[in-house]
Amino acid sequence: MLNVNNVQIVYDNVIEAVRDASLTVDEGQIVTLLGSNGAGKSTILKGISGVLYPEEGDIIGGTITLDGENMIGRKPDEIVRSGVVLVPEGRQLFEPLTVEENLMMGGITRNRSAAAEALEYVFSVFPRVKEKRGMIAGYLSGGEQQMVAIGRALMSRPRLLMLDEPSLGLAPQIIAEIFEAVTDLSKQSNVSVLLVEQNAELALSIASYGYIIENGRVVMDGTPAKLMNNEDVKEFYLGFSESGNRRNMRDVKHYKRRKRWLS
Amino acid sequence: MDYFILLTVSGISIGVIYGLIGMGYALIFKATSVVNFAQGEVMMLISYMAFSIASSWSLPFWSLLGVCVVLSGVVGLLIERIFIRPMLGQDVFSTVMVTIGMAVMIRAVVVLIWGADPMVLPTDIGDSGVEFGMVFLYTAQIYAIGFLAVCVFGMWAFLRFSRMGVAMRATAARETTALLMGINVTRVYALAWAIAAVIAGVSGVLLGTIYGLGPDMWTQGLRAFPAVILGGLDSVFGAAISGILIGVLENLSEGYIGHGLKEISGFLVILVVLMIRPYGLFGTPEIERV
Ligand SMILES: Nc1ncnc2c1ncn2[C@@H]1O[C@H](COP(=O)(O)OP(=O)(O)OP(=O)(O)O)[C@@H](O)[C@H]1O
Ligand SMILES: [Mg+2]
Repeated sequence: MLNVNNVQIVYDNVIEAVRDASLTVDEGQIVTLLGSNGAGKSTILKGISGVLYPEEGDIIGGTITLDGENMIGRKPDEIVRSGVVLVPEGRQLFEPLTVEENLMMGGITRNRSAAAEALEYVFSVFPRVKEKRGMIAGYLSGGEQQMVAIGRALMSRPRLLMLDEPSLGLAPQIIAEIFEAVTDLSKQSNVSVLLVEQNAELALSIASYGYIIENGRVVMDGTPAKLMNNEDVKEFYLGFSESGNRRNMRDVKHYKRRKRWLS
Repeated sequence: MDYFILLTVSGISIGVIYGLIGMGYALIFKATSVVNFAQGEVMMLISYMAFSIASSWSLPFWSLLGVCVVLSGVVGLLIERIFIRPMLGQDVFSTVMVTIGMAVMIRAVVVLIWGADPMVLPTDIGDSGVEFGMVFLYTAQIYAIGFLAVCVFGMWAFLRFSRMGVAMRATAARETTALLMGINVTRVYALAWAIAAVIAGVSGVLLGTIYGLGPDMWTQGLRAFPAVILGGLDSVFGAAISGILIGVLENLSEGYIGHGLKEISGFLVILVVLMIRPYGLFGTPEIERV
Protein backbone atom coordinates (compact mmCIF):
# COMPACT_ATOMS: atom_id res chain seq x y z
CA MET A 1 0.00 0.00 0.00
CA LEU A 2 2.40 2.74 1.18
CA ASN A 3 5.89 2.64 -0.24
CA VAL A 4 8.66 4.98 0.84
CA ASN A 5 11.73 4.53 -1.31
CA ASN A 6 15.20 5.98 -0.69
CA VAL A 7 13.69 9.20 0.53
CA GLN A 8 15.95 12.12 1.30
CA ILE A 9 14.70 15.20 3.15
CA VAL A 10 16.41 18.50 3.92
CA TYR A 11 15.39 21.52 5.99
CA ASP A 12 16.39 25.02 4.87
CA ASN A 13 18.12 23.47 1.83
CA VAL A 14 21.07 22.32 3.91
CA ILE A 15 20.15 20.40 7.04
CA GLU A 16 19.91 16.76 6.03
CA ALA A 17 17.29 15.30 8.36
CA VAL A 18 16.58 12.14 6.38
CA ARG A 19 19.35 10.69 4.22
CA ASP A 20 18.01 7.40 3.01
CA ALA A 21 14.75 5.97 4.23
CA SER A 22 12.80 3.12 2.71
CA LEU A 23 9.82 1.42 4.23
CA THR A 24 6.63 -0.35 3.29
CA VAL A 25 3.28 -0.59 5.00
CA ASP A 26 0.81 -3.14 3.73
CA GLU A 27 -2.96 -3.31 4.05
CA GLY A 28 -4.08 -3.83 7.64
CA GLN A 29 -0.52 -4.07 8.93
CA ILE A 30 0.97 -2.35 11.97
CA VAL A 31 4.47 -1.21 11.14
CA THR A 32 6.71 0.53 13.62
CA LEU A 33 9.52 2.97 13.01
CA LEU A 34 11.99 3.13 15.88
CA GLY A 35 14.86 5.46 16.52
CA SER A 36 16.37 7.79 19.04
CA ASN A 37 15.85 11.55 19.31
CA GLY A 38 16.57 13.44 16.13
CA ALA A 39 16.82 10.31 14.02
CA GLY A 40 14.35 11.70 11.49
CA LYS A 41 11.18 9.79 12.36
CA SER A 42 8.85 12.76 12.57
CA THR A 43 10.40 14.23 9.45
CA ILE A 44 9.51 11.11 7.47
CA LEU A 45 5.90 11.25 8.68
CA LYS A 46 5.64 14.94 7.84
CA GLY A 47 7.06 14.17 4.42
CA ILE A 48 4.38 11.56 3.81
CA SER A 49 1.68 14.00 4.98
CA GLY A 50 2.95 16.83 2.79
CA VAL A 51 3.49 19.29 5.63
CA LEU A 52 7.22 19.89 5.37
CA TYR A 53 6.90 23.16 3.51
CA PRO A 54 5.75 25.31 6.45
CA GLU A 55 9.05 24.38 8.11
CA GLU A 56 11.12 24.96 4.97
CA GLY A 57 11.55 21.22 4.57
CA ASP A 58 11.77 19.55 1.19
CA ILE A 59 11.93 16.02 -0.18
CA ILE A 60 14.93 16.11 -2.51
CA GLY A 61 15.17 12.48 -3.47
CA GLY A 62 13.36 9.17 -3.58
CA THR A 63 9.71 8.30 -4.04
CA ILE A 64 6.62 7.98 -1.88
CA THR A 65 3.73 6.08 -3.40
CA LEU A 66 0.32 4.96 -2.22
CA ASP A 67 -0.98 1.99 -4.23
CA GLY A 68 1.60 2.88 -6.83
CA GLU A 69 0.51 6.50 -7.12
CA ASN A 70 2.95 9.30 -6.42
CA MET A 71 2.31 11.21 -3.17
CA ILE A 72 5.14 13.72 -3.29
CA GLY A 73 4.03 17.23 -4.12
CA ARG A 74 0.39 16.63 -3.27
CA LYS A 75 -1.36 19.10 -1.02
CA PRO A 76 -2.00 18.02 2.59
CA ASP A 77 -5.77 17.97 2.09
CA GLU A 78 -5.44 15.72 -0.98
CA ILE A 79 -3.28 13.36 1.05
CA VAL A 80 -5.92 13.20 3.79
CA ARG A 81 -8.56 12.56 1.13
CA SER A 82 -6.47 9.72 -0.27
CA GLY A 83 -6.72 8.03 3.13
CA VAL A 84 -3.44 8.86 4.85
CA VAL A 85 -3.55 10.86 8.06
CA LEU A 86 -1.05 11.77 10.76
CA VAL A 87 -1.53 12.10 14.51
CA PRO A 88 1.32 14.52 15.19
CA GLU A 89 3.89 14.26 17.93
CA GLY A 90 2.72 15.99 21.10
CA ARG A 91 -0.94 15.65 20.08
CA GLN A 92 -1.27 19.21 18.81
CA LEU A 93 -4.95 19.61 19.56
CA PHE A 94 -6.73 22.84 18.76
CA GLU A 95 -6.66 23.79 22.45
CA PRO A 96 -9.26 26.60 22.50
CA LEU A 97 -11.80 24.47 20.64
CA THR A 98 -14.10 21.92 22.22
CA VAL A 99 -13.44 18.21 21.84
CA GLU A 100 -16.28 17.90 19.37
CA GLU A 101 -15.03 20.85 17.33
CA ASN A 102 -11.60 19.24 17.23
CA LEU A 103 -13.15 16.08 15.90
CA MET A 104 -15.20 18.06 13.40
CA MET A 105 -11.99 19.50 12.00
CA GLY A 106 -10.60 16.00 11.55
CA GLY A 107 -13.57 15.31 9.32
CA ILE A 108 -13.34 18.54 7.35
CA THR A 109 -12.47 16.73 4.12
CA ARG A 110 -15.70 14.75 4.24
CA ASN A 111 -19.25 15.88 3.72
CA ARG A 112 -21.51 16.64 6.64
CA SER A 113 -23.35 13.34 6.87
CA ALA A 114 -20.18 11.27 6.44
CA ALA A 115 -18.58 13.38 9.19
CA ALA A 116 -21.55 12.78 11.49
CA GLU A 117 -21.22 9.03 10.90
CA ALA A 118 -17.49 9.20 11.53
CA LEU A 119 -18.16 10.97 14.80
CA GLU A 120 -20.24 8.06 16.04
CA TYR A 121 -17.49 5.72 14.91
CA VAL A 122 -14.87 7.65 16.89
CA PHE A 123 -17.12 7.65 19.95
CA SER A 124 -17.40 3.88 19.65
CA VAL A 125 -13.60 3.54 19.48
CA PHE A 126 -13.05 5.93 22.40
CA PRO A 127 -16.14 6.08 24.64
CA ARG A 128 -14.24 8.41 26.97
CA VAL A 129 -14.01 11.00 24.23
CA LYS A 130 -17.79 11.03 23.96
CA GLU A 131 -18.07 11.91 27.64
CA LYS A 132 -15.79 14.89 27.13
CA ARG A 133 -17.23 16.09 23.85
CA GLY A 134 -18.30 19.50 25.15
CA MET A 135 -15.08 20.29 27.00
CA ILE A 136 -12.36 22.67 25.89
CA ALA A 137 -9.69 20.37 24.52
CA GLY A 138 -6.80 22.22 26.16
CA TYR A 139 -8.08 21.30 29.61
CA LEU A 140 -8.20 17.54 29.09
CA SER A 141 -5.65 15.22 30.66
CA GLY A 142 -2.75 14.03 28.52
CA GLY A 143 -4.30 10.63 27.93
CA GLU A 144 -7.64 12.08 26.97
CA GLN A 145 -5.90 14.51 24.65
CA GLN A 146 -4.13 11.64 22.93
CA MET A 147 -7.45 9.87 22.43
CA VAL A 148 -8.94 13.03 20.96
CA ALA A 149 -5.91 13.42 18.69
CA ILE A 150 -6.30 9.87 17.39
CA GLY A 151 -10.06 10.28 17.18
CA ARG A 152 -9.64 13.48 15.23
CA ALA A 153 -7.46 11.67 12.70
CA LEU A 154 -9.96 8.80 12.51
CA MET A 155 -12.66 11.29 11.52
CA SER A 156 -11.27 11.18 7.99
CA ARG A 157 -11.79 7.37 8.02
CA PRO A 158 -8.18 6.76 6.96
CA ARG A 159 -6.76 3.62 5.39
CA LEU A 160 -3.38 4.46 6.87
CA LEU A 161 -3.09 5.98 10.32
CA MET A 162 0.30 7.39 11.23
CA LEU A 163 1.01 7.86 14.92
CA ASP A 164 3.98 9.93 16.11
CA GLU A 165 4.96 8.85 19.61
CA PRO A 166 1.47 8.34 21.00
CA SER A 167 2.82 7.10 24.32
CA LEU A 168 4.79 10.27 25.00
CA GLY A 169 4.34 11.39 28.59
CA LEU A 170 1.47 9.03 29.41
CA ALA A 171 0.96 6.62 32.27
CA PRO A 172 1.34 2.89 31.47
CA GLN A 173 -2.34 2.24 32.02
CA ILE A 174 -3.46 4.85 29.49
CA ILE A 175 -0.79 3.71 27.05
CA ALA A 176 -2.14 0.18 27.27
CA GLU A 177 -5.64 1.44 26.61
CA ILE A 178 -4.55 3.42 23.58
CA PHE A 179 -2.43 0.65 22.14
CA GLU A 180 -5.30 -1.75 22.54
CA ALA A 181 -7.56 0.59 20.61
CA VAL A 182 -4.95 0.89 17.87
CA THR A 183 -4.58 -2.89 17.63
CA ASP A 184 -8.36 -3.23 17.37
CA LEU A 185 -8.44 -0.64 14.63
CA SER A 186 -6.07 -2.60 12.48
CA LYS A 187 -7.73 -5.93 13.22
CA GLN A 188 -11.38 -4.93 13.02
CA SER A 189 -11.46 -1.91 10.72
CA ASN A 190 -8.51 -3.00 8.57
CA VAL A 191 -6.74 0.31 9.16
CA SER A 192 -3.01 0.16 8.49
CA VAL A 193 -0.83 1.78 11.10
CA LEU A 194 2.59 3.36 10.86
CA LEU A 195 3.71 3.77 14.45
CA VAL A 196 6.66 5.90 15.47
CA GLU A 197 7.84 5.18 18.98
CA GLN A 198 10.69 5.66 21.41
CA ASN A 199 9.26 2.88 23.48
CA ALA A 200 10.53 0.00 21.36
CA GLU A 201 9.34 -2.80 23.55
CA LEU A 202 5.80 -1.54 23.46
CA ALA A 203 5.80 -0.83 19.74
CA LEU A 204 7.29 -4.19 18.82
CA SER A 205 4.68 -5.92 20.94
CA ILE A 206 1.85 -4.85 18.62
CA ALA A 207 3.68 -4.44 15.30
CA SER A 208 4.09 -7.05 12.62
CA TYR A 209 7.16 -5.39 11.15
CA GLY A 210 9.68 -2.82 12.31
CA TYR A 211 12.30 -0.43 10.96
CA ILE A 212 15.13 1.16 12.86
CA ILE A 213 16.35 4.56 11.84
CA GLU A 214 19.57 6.24 12.91
CA ASN A 215 20.76 9.66 11.79
CA GLY A 216 18.33 9.76 8.92
CA ARG A 217 19.07 6.26 7.62
CA VAL A 218 17.05 3.09 7.98
CA VAL A 219 19.74 0.81 9.34
CA MET A 220 17.80 -2.32 10.10
CA ASP A 221 14.40 -3.87 9.54
CA GLY A 222 12.61 -7.09 10.27
CA THR A 223 9.91 -8.83 12.22
CA PRO A 224 9.59 -7.99 15.91
CA ALA A 225 11.07 -11.37 16.77
CA LYS A 226 14.14 -10.71 14.67
CA LEU A 227 14.60 -7.18 15.96
CA MET A 228 14.11 -8.16 19.56
CA ASN A 229 16.78 -10.81 19.25
CA ASN A 230 19.29 -8.46 17.73
CA GLU A 231 22.00 -7.55 20.23
CA ASP A 232 22.21 -3.90 19.19
CA VAL A 233 18.47 -3.41 19.38
CA LYS A 234 18.41 -5.12 22.74
CA GLU A 235 21.05 -2.85 24.03
CA PHE A 236 20.03 0.53 22.64
CA TYR A 237 16.28 0.26 22.33
CA LEU A 238 15.19 -2.32 24.82
CA GLY A 239 17.74 -1.33 27.41
CA PHE A 240 19.31 -4.76 27.97
CA SER A 241 22.93 -5.76 27.55
CA GLU A 242 24.03 -9.18 26.37
CA SER A 243 23.95 -10.47 29.89
CA GLY A 244 20.39 -9.28 30.30
CA ASN A 245 21.09 -6.44 32.71
CA ARG A 246 19.82 -2.94 32.17
CA ARG A 247 22.68 -0.78 31.05
CA ASN A 248 23.65 2.79 31.27
CA MET A 249 22.75 4.37 27.94
CA ARG A 250 25.64 6.76 28.11
CA ASP A 251 28.07 3.90 27.91
CA VAL A 252 31.10 4.45 25.68
CA LYS A 253 30.38 1.21 23.94
CA HIS A 254 27.01 2.54 23.02
CA TYR A 255 28.62 5.29 21.06
CA LYS A 256 30.98 2.90 19.30
CA ARG A 257 28.20 0.55 18.26
CA ARG A 258 26.19 3.35 16.87
CA LYS A 259 29.18 4.46 14.84
CA ARG A 260 29.46 0.98 13.40
CA TRP A 261 25.88 1.15 12.20
CA LEU A 262 26.46 4.33 10.42
CA SER A 263 29.52 3.31 8.46
CA MET B 1 -27.08 65.33 32.68
CA ASP B 2 -28.40 66.21 29.21
CA TYR B 3 -24.90 67.10 28.21
CA PHE B 4 -23.68 63.74 29.48
CA ILE B 5 -26.32 61.85 27.51
CA LEU B 6 -25.57 63.85 24.42
CA LEU B 7 -21.87 63.13 24.67
CA THR B 8 -22.52 59.47 25.37
CA VAL B 9 -24.88 58.95 22.48
CA SER B 10 -22.68 60.69 19.95
CA GLY B 11 -19.77 58.76 21.43
CA ILE B 12 -21.62 55.52 20.83
CA SER B 13 -22.40 56.43 17.27
CA ILE B 14 -18.74 57.04 16.40
CA GLY B 15 -17.67 54.17 18.64
CA VAL B 16 -19.78 51.84 16.56
CA ILE B 17 -17.62 52.71 13.56
CA TYR B 18 -14.47 52.05 15.60
CA GLY B 19 -15.98 48.77 16.66
CA LEU B 20 -16.68 47.77 13.08
CA ILE B 21 -13.21 48.66 11.85
CA GLY B 22 -11.77 46.98 14.94
CA MET B 23 -13.64 43.76 14.18
CA GLY B 24 -11.90 43.71 10.83
CA TYR B 25 -8.48 44.14 12.45
CA ALA B 26 -9.23 41.43 14.99
CA LEU B 27 -10.60 38.94 12.48
CA ILE B 28 -7.55 39.18 10.23
CA PHE B 29 -5.20 39.08 13.19
CA LYS B 30 -6.95 36.09 14.72
CA ALA B 31 -6.94 34.08 11.53
CA THR B 32 -3.57 35.08 10.07
CA SER B 33 -1.56 36.76 12.88
CA VAL B 34 -1.16 39.82 10.67
CA VAL B 35 -2.22 43.30 11.74
CA ASN B 36 -3.72 44.86 8.64
CA PHE B 37 -2.82 48.53 8.90
CA ALA B 38 -4.79 49.24 5.73
CA GLN B 39 -8.16 48.49 7.32
CA GLY B 40 -9.12 52.18 7.50
CA GLU B 41 -7.90 52.73 3.95
CA VAL B 42 -10.02 49.88 2.62
CA MET B 43 -12.97 51.53 4.30
CA MET B 44 -12.10 54.82 2.61
CA LEU B 45 -11.61 53.18 -0.79
CA ILE B 46 -15.01 51.51 -0.71
CA SER B 47 -16.79 54.66 0.40
CA TYR B 48 -15.27 56.56 -2.54
CA MET B 49 -16.28 53.76 -4.88
CA ALA B 50 -19.75 54.05 -3.38
CA PHE B 51 -19.61 57.75 -4.25
CA SER B 52 -18.93 56.98 -7.91
CA ILE B 53 -21.68 54.40 -8.03
CA ALA B 54 -24.19 56.60 -6.23
CA SER B 55 -23.51 59.56 -8.46
CA SER B 56 -23.71 57.52 -11.67
CA TRP B 57 -26.88 55.62 -10.88
CA SER B 58 -29.32 56.83 -8.30
CA LEU B 59 -29.64 53.58 -6.40
CA PRO B 60 -31.78 53.25 -3.32
CA PHE B 61 -29.61 53.03 -0.18
CA TRP B 62 -30.01 49.31 0.34
CA SER B 63 -29.11 48.48 -3.24
CA LEU B 64 -26.07 50.71 -2.98
CA LEU B 65 -25.09 48.90 0.20
CA GLY B 66 -25.62 45.54 -1.49
CA VAL B 67 -23.38 46.52 -4.41
CA CYS B 68 -20.73 47.73 -1.97
CA VAL B 69 -20.84 44.48 -0.01
CA VAL B 70 -20.02 42.54 -3.16
CA LEU B 71 -17.45 45.10 -4.26
CA SER B 72 -15.63 45.16 -0.94
CA GLY B 73 -15.63 41.36 -0.78
CA VAL B 74 -13.91 41.34 -4.15
CA VAL B 75 -11.47 44.05 -3.03
CA GLY B 76 -10.64 41.99 0.07
CA LEU B 77 -10.03 38.86 -1.99
CA LEU B 78 -7.87 40.77 -4.47
CA ILE B 79 -5.77 42.31 -1.71
CA GLU B 80 -5.23 38.89 -0.18
CA ARG B 81 -4.39 37.29 -3.52
CA ILE B 82 -2.11 40.03 -4.85
CA PHE B 83 -0.35 41.39 -1.78
CA ILE B 84 -0.72 38.97 1.10
CA ARG B 85 -0.54 35.46 -0.32
CA PRO B 86 2.89 35.95 -1.87
CA MET B 87 4.06 36.82 1.64
CA LEU B 88 3.01 33.44 3.07
CA GLY B 89 5.97 31.83 4.77
CA GLN B 90 7.70 35.17 5.27
CA ASP B 91 7.75 36.48 8.79
CA VAL B 92 4.70 38.31 10.04
CA PHE B 93 6.56 41.58 10.37
CA SER B 94 7.24 41.74 6.62
CA THR B 95 3.57 41.15 5.90
CA VAL B 96 2.62 43.93 8.28
CA MET B 97 5.00 46.21 6.41
CA VAL B 98 3.21 45.24 3.20
CA THR B 99 -0.12 46.31 4.71
CA ILE B 100 1.42 49.66 5.66
CA GLY B 101 2.62 50.05 2.09
CA MET B 102 -0.84 49.14 0.87
CA ALA B 103 -2.35 51.77 3.16
CA VAL B 104 -0.16 54.53 1.76
CA MET B 105 -0.89 53.38 -1.77
CA ILE B 106 -4.65 53.33 -1.30
CA ARG B 107 -4.58 56.86 0.16
CA ALA B 108 -2.64 58.08 -2.86
CA VAL B 109 -4.88 56.30 -5.35
CA VAL B 110 -8.01 57.75 -3.75
CA VAL B 111 -6.68 61.30 -4.00
CA LEU B 112 -5.47 60.63 -7.54
CA ILE B 113 -8.87 59.43 -8.74
CA TRP B 114 -11.33 61.42 -6.67
CA GLY B 115 -9.30 64.47 -5.65
CA ALA B 116 -8.61 65.86 -2.21
CA ASP B 117 -11.76 67.91 -1.71
CA PRO B 118 -14.35 66.82 0.83
CA MET B 119 -17.46 65.40 -0.82
CA VAL B 120 -20.96 64.37 0.11
CA LEU B 121 -21.94 60.77 -0.43
CA PRO B 122 -25.29 61.16 -2.17
CA THR B 123 -27.69 58.57 -0.78
CA ASP B 124 -31.43 58.70 -0.40
CA ILE B 125 -31.28 58.44 3.38
CA GLY B 126 -29.12 61.60 3.42
CA ASP B 127 -30.05 63.92 6.30
CA SER B 128 -33.04 61.96 7.53
CA GLY B 129 -33.02 60.86 11.14
CA VAL B 130 -34.90 60.30 14.33
CA GLU B 131 -35.19 62.48 17.42
CA PHE B 132 -34.77 60.64 20.73
CA GLY B 133 -35.61 63.22 23.37
CA MET B 134 -32.89 65.80 22.95
CA VAL B 135 -30.63 63.56 20.90
CA PHE B 136 -30.89 63.49 17.15
CA LEU B 137 -29.55 60.46 15.30
CA TYR B 138 -29.12 60.25 11.55
CA THR B 139 -30.65 57.24 9.87
CA ALA B 140 -27.16 56.13 8.86
CA GLN B 141 -26.06 56.30 12.50
CA ILE B 142 -28.93 54.06 13.50
CA TYR B 143 -28.06 51.70 10.66
CA ALA B 144 -24.44 51.65 11.85
CA ILE B 145 -25.53 50.58 15.32
CA GLY B 146 -27.77 47.93 13.78
CA PHE B 147 -24.99 46.78 11.46
CA LEU B 148 -22.58 46.36 14.36
CA ALA B 149 -25.17 44.25 16.16
CA VAL B 150 -25.67 42.16 13.03
CA CYS B 151 -21.91 41.73 12.58
CA VAL B 152 -21.35 40.72 16.18
CA PHE B 153 -24.14 38.19 16.10
CA GLY B 154 -23.25 37.01 12.61
CA MET B 155 -19.57 36.53 13.45
CA TRP B 156 -20.44 34.73 16.64
CA ALA B 157 -22.73 32.32 14.83
CA PHE B 158 -20.24 31.88 11.99
CA LEU B 159 -17.29 31.12 14.27
CA ARG B 160 -19.32 28.87 16.52
CA PHE B 161 -21.55 26.88 14.21
CA SER B 162 -20.27 26.84 10.64
CA ARG B 163 -17.56 24.41 9.64
CA MET B 164 -15.66 27.18 7.90
CA GLY B 165 -15.88 29.33 11.03
CA VAL B 166 -14.62 26.55 13.28
CA ALA B 167 -11.88 25.92 10.70
CA MET B 168 -10.92 29.57 11.03
CA ARG B 169 -10.57 29.21 14.80
CA ALA B 170 -8.67 25.96 14.36
CA THR B 171 -6.27 27.59 11.92
CA ALA B 172 -5.80 30.46 14.33
CA ALA B 173 -4.96 27.98 17.10
CA ARG B 174 -2.57 25.73 15.16
CA GLU B 175 -1.88 26.31 11.56
CA THR B 176 0.25 23.25 10.84
CA THR B 177 -2.26 20.92 12.43
CA ALA B 178 -5.01 22.61 10.47
CA LEU B 179 -3.09 21.73 7.31
CA LEU B 180 -2.62 18.17 8.56
CA MET B 181 -6.35 17.73 9.01
CA GLY B 182 -6.94 18.84 5.44
CA ILE B 183 -8.24 22.32 6.23
CA ASN B 184 -7.74 24.56 3.24
CA VAL B 185 -5.78 27.21 5.11
CA THR B 186 -5.37 29.44 2.07
CA ARG B 187 -9.11 29.61 1.71
CA VAL B 188 -9.54 30.38 5.40
CA TYR B 189 -7.13 33.30 5.04
CA ALA B 190 -8.82 34.60 1.93
CA LEU B 191 -12.18 34.43 3.65
CA ALA B 192 -10.90 36.37 6.67
CA TRP B 193 -9.63 39.14 4.39
CA ALA B 194 -12.89 39.19 2.46
CA ILE B 195 -15.07 39.41 5.57
CA ALA B 196 -12.89 42.12 7.08
CA ALA B 197 -13.10 44.10 3.84
CA VAL B 198 -16.88 43.75 3.72
CA ILE B 199 -17.20 45.04 7.27
CA ALA B 200 -14.86 47.91 6.42
CA GLY B 201 -16.75 48.63 3.21
CA VAL B 202 -20.17 48.83 4.82
CA SER B 203 -18.76 50.99 7.62
CA GLY B 204 -17.26 53.23 4.95
CA VAL B 205 -20.59 53.73 3.24
CA LEU B 206 -22.29 54.51 6.57
CA LEU B 207 -19.48 56.79 7.73
CA GLY B 208 -19.50 58.58 4.38
CA THR B 209 -23.24 59.09 4.57
CA ILE B 210 -22.98 60.53 8.07
CA TYR B 211 -19.85 62.69 7.87
CA GLY B 212 -19.14 62.96 4.14
CA LEU B 213 -16.01 61.87 2.32
CA GLY B 214 -12.54 63.31 2.66
CA PRO B 215 -8.95 62.25 2.05
CA ASP B 216 -8.40 61.92 5.79
CA MET B 217 -11.12 59.30 6.30
CA TRP B 218 -8.47 56.64 6.82
CA THR B 219 -7.56 58.18 10.17
CA GLN B 220 -10.69 56.53 11.54
CA GLY B 221 -8.77 53.30 11.09
CA LEU B 222 -6.02 54.62 13.30
CA ARG B 223 -8.53 55.89 15.84
CA ALA B 224 -10.13 52.45 15.95
CA PHE B 225 -6.81 50.85 16.76
CA PRO B 226 -6.97 51.39 20.53
CA ALA B 227 -10.29 49.56 20.42
CA VAL B 228 -8.73 46.34 19.14
CA ILE B 229 -5.82 46.55 21.52
CA LEU B 230 -8.19 47.21 24.38
CA GLY B 231 -10.44 44.34 23.38
CA GLY B 232 -7.53 41.99 22.82
CA LEU B 233 -6.13 41.79 19.31
CA ASP B 234 -7.59 38.37 18.71
CA SER B 235 -11.05 39.03 20.08
CA VAL B 236 -13.55 39.98 17.40
CA PHE B 237 -16.26 40.70 19.97
CA GLY B 238 -13.88 42.49 22.28
CA ALA B 239 -13.12 44.86 19.42
CA ALA B 240 -16.80 45.62 18.93
CA ILE B 241 -17.45 46.41 22.58
CA SER B 242 -14.18 48.27 23.07
CA GLY B 243 -14.92 50.33 19.98
CA ILE B 244 -18.01 51.70 21.66
CA LEU B 245 -16.12 52.19 24.93
CA ILE B 246 -13.38 54.16 23.23
CA GLY B 247 -15.89 56.24 21.27
CA VAL B 248 -17.74 57.22 24.43
CA LEU B 249 -14.55 57.81 26.35
CA GLU B 250 -13.14 60.09 23.66
CA ASN B 251 -16.28 62.15 23.66
CA LEU B 252 -16.57 62.40 27.42
CA SER B 253 -12.93 63.31 27.92
CA GLU B 254 -13.18 66.01 25.32
CA GLY B 255 -16.51 67.28 26.63
CA TYR B 256 -15.52 67.44 30.27
CA ILE B 257 -11.78 67.78 30.40
CA GLY B 258 -10.73 69.57 27.31
CA HIS B 259 -10.08 69.80 23.65
CA GLY B 260 -7.23 67.74 22.25
CA LEU B 261 -7.78 64.92 24.69
CA LYS B 262 -10.06 63.20 22.20
CA GLU B 263 -7.15 62.13 20.04
CA ILE B 264 -5.11 60.61 22.84
CA SER B 265 -7.60 59.40 25.41
CA GLY B 266 -8.02 56.06 23.65
CA PHE B 267 -4.31 55.45 23.63
CA LEU B 268 -4.02 56.49 27.27
CA VAL B 269 -6.63 53.94 28.25
CA ILE B 270 -4.92 51.10 26.45
CA LEU B 271 -1.65 51.94 28.13
CA VAL B 272 -3.27 51.48 31.50
CA VAL B 273 -5.32 48.41 30.56
CA LEU B 274 -2.40 46.62 28.97
CA MET B 275 -0.38 47.01 32.13
CA ILE B 276 -3.05 45.09 34.02
CA ARG B 277 -4.20 42.69 31.29
CA PRO B 278 -1.50 42.31 28.65
CA TYR B 279 -3.81 40.34 26.34
CA GLY B 280 -6.57 42.98 26.46
CA LEU B 281 -9.97 42.89 28.07
CA PHE B 282 -11.31 39.99 26.03
CA GLY B 283 -8.23 38.47 24.45
CA THR B 284 -7.23 34.88 25.12
CA PRO B 285 -4.27 34.16 27.31
CA GLU B 286 -2.59 30.92 26.27
CA ILE B 287 -4.37 27.85 27.53
CA GLU B 288 -1.96 26.01 29.73
CA ARG B 289 -2.51 22.99 31.85
CA VAL B 290 -0.31 22.72 34.89
N1 LIG C 1 11.97 22.53 11.22
C1 LIG C 1 13.22 22.07 11.24
N2 LIG C 1 14.24 22.83 10.76
C2 LIG C 1 15.50 22.38 10.78
N3 LIG C 1 15.87 21.17 11.22
C3 LIG C 1 14.92 20.36 11.70
C4 LIG C 1 13.55 20.78 11.73
N4 LIG C 1 12.82 19.77 12.26
C5 LIG C 1 13.71 18.79 12.54
N5 LIG C 1 14.96 19.13 12.21
C6 LIG C 1 16.15 18.31 12.35
O1 LIG C 1 15.97 17.13 11.64
C7 LIG C 1 16.43 16.01 12.37
C8 LIG C 1 15.34 14.98 12.54
O2 LIG C 1 14.30 15.52 13.32
P1 LIG C 1 12.96 14.75 13.63
O3 LIG C 1 12.05 15.67 14.32
O4 LIG C 1 12.48 14.10 12.39
O5 LIG C 1 13.50 13.63 14.64
P2 LIG C 1 12.70 12.52 15.42
O6 LIG C 1 13.27 11.22 15.01
O7 LIG C 1 11.26 12.70 15.26
O8 LIG C 1 13.13 12.83 16.91
P3 LIG C 1 12.28 12.77 18.28
O9 LIG C 1 12.26 11.36 18.70
O10 LIG C 1 13.05 13.62 19.20
O11 LIG C 1 10.93 13.31 17.97
C9 LIG C 1 16.95 16.54 13.69
O12 LIG C 1 18.34 16.65 13.59
C10 LIG C 1 16.35 17.91 13.81
O13 LIG C 1 17.21 18.79 14.46
MG1 LIG D 1 9.75 13.18 16.44
